[in-house]
Formats: sequence, C-alpha cells, structure tokens
Amino acid sequence: MKTLKFLAASLAIFMFVGPWAFAAETIKIGVPLAMTGAYAGSGDNYWKGIEMATNEINQSGGLLGKQIEIIRFDSQEFAPEIVMQGADYLCGKMKVASIHAGWAGWGQDIRAYGKYDAPFFCDDGAMPSVDVYKSDPEKYYNTYFITDTGGDQANSMFNMLTALPYEYPNKKIVIINTDDTWGMEVGDTLSKQFKKIGWKVAIRETVPYGTNEWGPILTKVRRINPAIIHIEIPSSQEVITFFRQFIKRPTNSILSYGWSITPLEVLSTMGKNADGIVGEMPAGMPAPVAPNAKAQAWVDKYMDIYKHSIPAGSWIAYTAVMAWADAVTAVGDEYNFKAVNKHLKEAGYEGLQGRIKFGENNTWHAQPAAPIVHYQVQNGQLVALYTDPPIKPYKDYKFQVPRWIKK
Amino acid sequence: MVFEIIDVIISGLINGSVYALMAVGLTLVYGVTKAFNFAYGSFYNMGGYFAWMLLIPLGIIGGYFSVFFAAIPVLFAVGYLLEKVLVSPLRKYDDWEMKVMMLTLGLSLFMDFGYQTIFGPRIKSLPGMIEGTLEIGQVVLFHQDIAIFILSVGGMLCFGWILKNTRTGMAVQAVAQNPAGAQIVGIPKDFIFAATFAISTIMVGLGGILLCQKTFVDPMGSTDIMIKAWVITAFGGMGSISGSLYAAFILGMLEAFVGWHFGMIYVQIATLTLLLVTLAVRPRGLMGRE
Amino acid sequence: MILILGGFYCVMGILPLFFGNTAHIMNILIMILIWAVVASCWDVIMGFAGIFSFGQVAFYVIGAYAGAILSVSLDIPPVFAIIVAGVVTGMLGVLVGLPCLKLAGPYVALVTFAVHMTLIPFLKGPLGRAIGSGGSQGILTIPPINLLGFAFSSEQLVPFFYLTLFLTIICTLILALIIKSYWGTAFLALKDSENFATSLGISAFRYKLMVFAITSFITGLFGALYAHYVGMLSTKMLSMDVFTILMIMMVIGGIGKYPGVVVGAVITVTISQLLAPLGMYRPLIMGAMVVILVLFLRDGVIGLAQKISPLQRKFG
Repeated sequence: MKTLKFLAASLAIFMFVGPWAFAAETIKIGVPLAMTGAYAGSGDNYWKGIEMATNEINQSGGLLGKQIEIIRFDSQEFAPEIVMQGADYLCGKMKVASIHAGWAGWGQDIRAYGKYDAPFFCDDGAMPSVDVYKSDPEKYYNTYFITDTGGDQANSMFNMLTALPYEYPNKKIVIINTDDTWGMEVGDTLSKQFKKIGWKVAIRETVPYGTNEWGPILTKVRRINPAIIHIEIPSSQEVITFFRQFIKRPTNSILSYGWSITPLEVLSTMGKNADGIVGEMPAGMPAPVAPNAKAQAWVDKYMDIYKHSIPAGSWIAYTAVMAWADAVTAVGDEYNFKAVNKHLKEAGYEGLQGRIKFGENNTWHAQPAAPIVHYQVQNGQLVALYTDPPIKPYKDYKFQVPRWIKK
Repeated sequence: MVFEIIDVIISGLINGSVYALMAVGLTLVYGVTKAFNFAYGSFYNMGGYFAWMLLIPLGIIGGYFSVFFAAIPVLFAVGYLLEKVLVSPLRKYDDWEMKVMMLTLGLSLFMDFGYQTIFGPRIKSLPGMIEGTLEIGQVVLFHQDIAIFILSVGGMLCFGWILKNTRTGMAVQAVAQNPAGAQIVGIPKDFIFAATFAISTIMVGLGGILLCQKTFVDPMGSTDIMIKAWVITAFGGMGSISGSLYAAFILGMLEAFVGWHFGMIYVQIATLTLLLVTLAVRPRGLMGRE
Repeated sequence: MILILGGFYCVMGILPLFFGNTAHIMNILIMILIWAVVASCWDVIMGFAGIFSFGQVAFYVIGAYAGAILSVSLDIPPVFAIIVAGVVTGMLGVLVGLPCLKLAGPYVALVTFAVHMTLIPFLKGPLGRAIGSGGSQGILTIPPINLLGFAFSSEQLVPFFYLTLFLTIICTLILALIIKSYWGTAFLALKDSENFATSLGISAFRYKLMVFAITSFITGLFGALYAHYVGMLSTKMLSMDVFTILMIMMVIGGIGKYPGVVVGAVITVTISQLLAPLGMYRPLIMGAMVVILVLFLRDGVIGLAQKISPLQRKFG
C-alpha cells in the first residue's frame, strides 16, 4: 500500500512537473534563410550545415542538457522589410538564443539584427555589410561574419592564379562578373590586382543574371585570346552555358570560376566535362581527402546524410553553430548575451581543422583553421590544390593543364 | 573583324529563333482569344518538367521522339481544360480581360510553386537532344541551335500558312476579328477559343522542351520568359504571327550587337528603348492590326 | 464606403494599444498601411479609371529611391525629402501617362511595366550610381524622419505607426474624394461609354492624366515613407513579390470597389503571415486562392458583402 501511494505520488509529481520540464527543455535558435525564390539553392546549403550541427548536439545530450529547437524564417528574396520582419520575429517574438544565417541581406541584415543582442552569424561576403558593422561596432557587436568579403576572397583568388605552376602565354585577362555586390567586388579587386603586376584587363564585362547566350562576349574573347578568363557569377545556369559555348571553340585560357564553381549543379551537370576549371570556396573543407581524420569523418557523415559533396557554406555554418554552442557551454546561460558574445569574440573555437578565431570586424577571416580553398575540377570532382593563408599546396594534388589548352 | 561580325550575326539568329519559339504561343493566344496569360512562363516550364519527368525518373524509351509524341496530346488536353474551366467562365464579364490577367497571375503562382514543391527549388538539366557541332571554316555551330532555328522558323511559317490558307485557319481568324460575327456565320466560337488556347499551350510547351535542354528548367524563371514573349509579341504586333517572327529576329540581332559592342549590361535598356520608341510611333506594333 | 474606411481606421488606431510592444506585429501593421495605400492607388487607376497600368510598383520604388537620395546625398531633411519625392514621382507619372493614354489596354500595361523593368538595370548601373542609388548595394543608411524634434523611424514603432496612419487617412480621403466627386462620375461615364462621355465634353485625356499624376504622387510619397521606415533600400524591392502581393490585395478586395482593396490588404497580409511557416506552400495556396476568388467571387470581398447585405443600395 505504501509503495502504491509512493508510486501514485511520483506519477502525480511527474505528470505535473513533466510537461513543464519538457517544455522548458529546448533552446531556440533562429534560422532565417531563403527557402523559396532565386536564392533558395544557397539557403539550402547553409541549412544542411546548421541542421547537421543541431542534430549532432541534440543526439549527444543537447546543449546545457536541453535540446536545441530550430525556428526557421523564409527570407524569400531579402526585400528590406522582410529582412526586418525576420529579425523582429525571431529575436523579438520567439526570443531565440542565436541566429544562424547564410546570405542574409547584404547590409540590411546587420541593421535589422543589430537592434538585438543575440549572436547573429551571417555569410554575406559583402563590403556593405562590413561597412554597416564598422559604422557602429558597439551597437552591432553581436554580428559575426563567418567568411571574408568578396574583396578579400578575390585577393586570394589572385594569389592562387599567380601561384599556379603554369606559364601564361600573355598578360591579358578577361573578367566577367554579375552586376551585384559580390560580382562587382570580386571583379574590381581582381582588376586592380592584375593591373598592378602589369597585366591588361582586356575586357571587363558586367552581366545580369540570366545571361545564357554568350556569343557576343565569346566572339570578343576569341579575338583577344587571353591567358586567363575569370567569370564570377554565383549561380549555376550562366556558368554552365558559358562553358558549353566556350568549349565549342576554346581559347588557350585558364578558366577561373571563382566562387561560381561551388553551386552543386555545376559539377553534377557537367561532370568530367568541367575538368580543368579552377575555383575557390571560402572557409572550405578541402577535398577529396580531408586534412585530418576527424574532418574526414565529418565529410563522410555529411555525404552519407545528404548524398552529395560539400557545397559552399555547409561546413562553416556547421562550425558556427558548434562555436556558439561551445560559448554557451562555457558561459552556462544561453541568454547571457554579453558573456556569450564576449566568449565568441575572444576565446576562439577548436574546429575540425584547428583553432578558429574571429578577427578584425568580427570576421572569420581566412586562416589556417578555416582556409580559403582553391580547387580544380579533376575527374568530375573538386580537388583542392591550395589552401590560403598562407598560400600553400594542399597535400600532393597537382594542377593539371586543362585539356583545351594546346601547346 | 569580318568573322567577328559573322559570329555576332549568328548569335543574333540563334537568339531570334529562341525568342520566336518563346513568343509564338502568346501571339496566337492573345491574337485570337484576347486573353492575357500571365501563366505563360509556367506553361513553358510545364513543357520542360514534362520532358524531364519522362526522360529522367521514368527513362522513357525513344528519347525526345517519344517525349514530343506524348507531350502534344497532354499539352493540348491541359490547355483545353484550363481554358474551359478557368478562362471561359470569365468571358461574360465586362472587365474580363483584367479578370483573366488576375486569374492567370494566381495560376502562375500556383504552378510555379507547385513545381517547386514537387520537383524541388533547384534548376533541372535536360539531356541534350542533338549533340555535336558543325564547323564551317572558322564558324562553329551547335547542331542543337540549327535544329532550334529550323523548327522555330519552320513552325511559325507553317502556322502562318495554316491560318491564312485553310478553312480552320480562316475560322480562327474570323473569331479573332469578330467573335459575334463569326458565331453568326456558324463558327463554333467557344470551341475555337478553347482549341486555340490548347494549341498555344502545345507550342509554348514544346518551345519549353526545346529550349530547356539548351539551358535549364528553372522554376523561378517563368516571369522572365513571359516578359520576353510579351515584349516580342507587343513589338511585332499582337495577333500577327509574321510580326512576331520579325520582332523576334530584330530583337535577337539587337541583343547580339548591343551586347557585343556596348556590353551585355546595356541589352535590356536597348531592347526596352526600342520597344517604347516603336510603340510611341506605331502603337500597334510592327504589324499589328487593331 | 465611409463606414468601412472609418471602421478600419478606428480599429487600426487602437491596435497599438494591444501590440505596441511586439515589434514583429507593429512591422506588419505599418506595412499593411503602406501597402493599402499603394494598392488603393493602383485600384483607382485600374479599377476605377480603367487604365491598365502595371507601373505602380515602379512608382513606389522611384518614390522610395528619390526620397532616400534626397535625404542621404543632398542632406535634405526627410520631411521635405518625402514630399519632394512624391512630387517627383507625380511628375514622372505624368510623363509616363502621356504616351500611355494613346495606347490600347495591354499596351499600356506593357509600357508601364517596361518602366518597371528599366528601373532595375538603371538603378544598378552606372547612371543610377551617378545619382546616388548605390548601384546593386542599394542605400543603407537612410536617416529617420525628424518632425518637431521627434525622430520617427523603425526604432520607435508606435509613433511611426501613428505617423503612417495619419498620412494614410489623408491620402485615403483624397482618393475617396476623387471617386465621389465630379471627377469620379466622369470616370464612371468614361468607363461605361467613352464615346458618349466625350461627346458630353468630358475630356478623357485630361482626367486620366490627372489620375496618373495624383496616384503617382501618393504612391511616390509612400515609397519615400517606406524608405525612411526601413532605413535601407535595394533593388530587391523590384522583384515580382511586391507586384504579386499588391495584385492579390486587389483581387481579394475587389477591383474598382474602392475601400475593398484596403480590406483586401489586411486580409492578404494576414493570410500571408499565417501561412508563412508553411514555406513553399504559402505562394502555392495563395495562388490557388486567387484563382478560386476570381472565378467565384468576382468582386472580391466587397462584392460578397454587396450581395449579402442590404447596404447594396448604398454602393450601387
């Protein structure tokens, strides 16, 4: 009888406390990404990294003993008021403990989330975003840029192009870029750098998204026969059609795709045809073999879950979630934003490739633990040739002269 | 220099045939039924997705041949049904043109996001229909582009001929010019409306199949397609097939030359300027009749 | 009409009492007000004056950019910048209207939409940058509105809400006056039978141009207001999203049935927000809704109300 009473009492207590306990058992994080619209593909890449990190944490007991709950928000096409709404919804209404985004608005996002204190991780890769941060670092102290700006990434691309074990037949470069912040930044930076070492920018062409007929441009390119053609369009369609039309009658040029090599469709559509093209990924996970055993295990797990190779953004978004979780564990309270932000800014995080630290302007600049990786497509796969900084060859992968370049 | 210009002319011709293919459906449906189909681009994608579905997950035998064979009746049926169920009930209202526009806007939203839900938001690649290139001296052409050129120009000319020289064609023209009059003379106006819509669906769907394998099937691209077709149709004159053909090639050439000489970024402005200037001088378009 | 409008604004007026602390909802309410006005202007042009204009979003964006450039590059106090922006847009509206009025239905749509399309490369390109549009980056630091020493911006949502409400009421009254006045009757006459009306001496041209001017002015004004509200602008405003949502508001509210579009605005935004968690399914459902509404509820919500209410006579 006594046992029964005890059991009944325990059950009652459990039932009373239980639901409350379960309800209080989650830590919420906000994930504003483009779920629909033109940027959905990239949004998807960041999502996979974030989802993977969250599941990993949850499966090994959660954060501070509680499960992480993801609250998603569709940023659609990043119209100014939608970006603002996202911030007010996630931070104001849902009171999330941190926000993880990829492309988030190219400047508007910093303003929107700067009103709050929860750590905001974004990957705009754009000078305007950094400019907003710089205009008031105290107010925007909770903003974290998980990769470099386009300008800095372009400097790295320049380093790679000049480091290739290849003798350029002439000093002419053709630069084609999109008309948005990213394209212009990369195009401007490359143009400046190459001119400084005495090259001639034979054509600098800004094109809108959706350009699929490259005839007029290729006509000019064929006349010029440049040593390098750099095309910077962060979207798969245009760069694929460009290649198809280029290869019809190619010039003896190195094709440098920059970030444009990273959208999954580029390789999945072109496969081995793309062999020879070089490109880069910021904060990348070198492939096909990862730098160390832990990283390799991570790569294998990712490919097992998502069934394709690592696109740009996935790894660094994963790392950002982990770094934040690390900071929260150290501080002990997910809502003590001041302490969490202080820890993030100062302590650094031991990631899969080494210790990562936020640098100037709260940015994870390219560093040995989160390098810019320069790839070449070989055998239908991305093969890492160099990591930067400092620019050095990766393992024993060698640059192969593309098949369309005739001696 | 000469070769460069030849190259640019060829680009212009390729552009032109692509545009012709895109616009012919719109010219037809607008010219006859006066219904402005906002969902035009979504129908274009319908063709693309239909082909993708048959070729990739289902792996149909006979390749594109079977695809075209299957597509024609399916597209006809879809177009016919849509017209009967969605468009013709609106015809009895005074402001039906606006209503049709609104309805098709809703329809395009529904279709576009329907595609994204079923097929996912990423672009899809169709296997090439005809591989290979043709080399004539310095000039290299894709067989694909030649095929597109032949099919689009041929198709349009054929169509134009049918409209002018067959009984059915003349019946369609009659309905276009004077629906009430046509009905009095015994032409089944409603059937013609529905059939025209259906045929235009076939044409835009087939155009989609052909062109999507040159580029990609993009669920978010429907608005751009509709706008392009609209510009060409308006420039050529609503309802005139030969007008659309001229318009397509003129605009295609303009794009190629402006792109080559000034830069691709000026192409859109040049196109719109030409359009606006033309409409200012000749509000009916090149060969429109109204 | 006055009843509906009055009721609507009274309700809106007291909402901040409940939601003043929820930034998220205040955001939505302010956007409802702004869009309601822009959609109303579009309704007046399309549904009332019968002009097939697709340029409303273009004027909205022109107003926004004009206001922003005036405030940022020329340091004009935002209060004046907004008004001047409205005037500039109004003038552009007249410029666009002039050729349009000679064209038939869908051509007007095309020309006005061409304005919309041209804006994108213009704002992003060198010409746009020359006048301060910020190219593809957009404009990032638009100052708040300083009126009587008080700063209205998105930092202080409740005051901004009331400012917007105030402007909205004024503009709505202007629009209502147009509709109810002599001009309004003239338009109805023109719509019903242009030839007859013209024979009575009603100049279609002059009236239509006036409509273009006034609606563009108001739309531009609110565009500039929006710019100072969000504090940042980019050419993303020109995507089809805004266009589509405005159209949906008109469909739901009933084109040509004036205050309908205001009600439509509220309903559309509410449904849009409710469906937001559904991600991709949201536009899908809204698209289906539009199709069904156009087929079965031909005059939107107002039409429905008319059919089932004895107030039928009042609107008739």
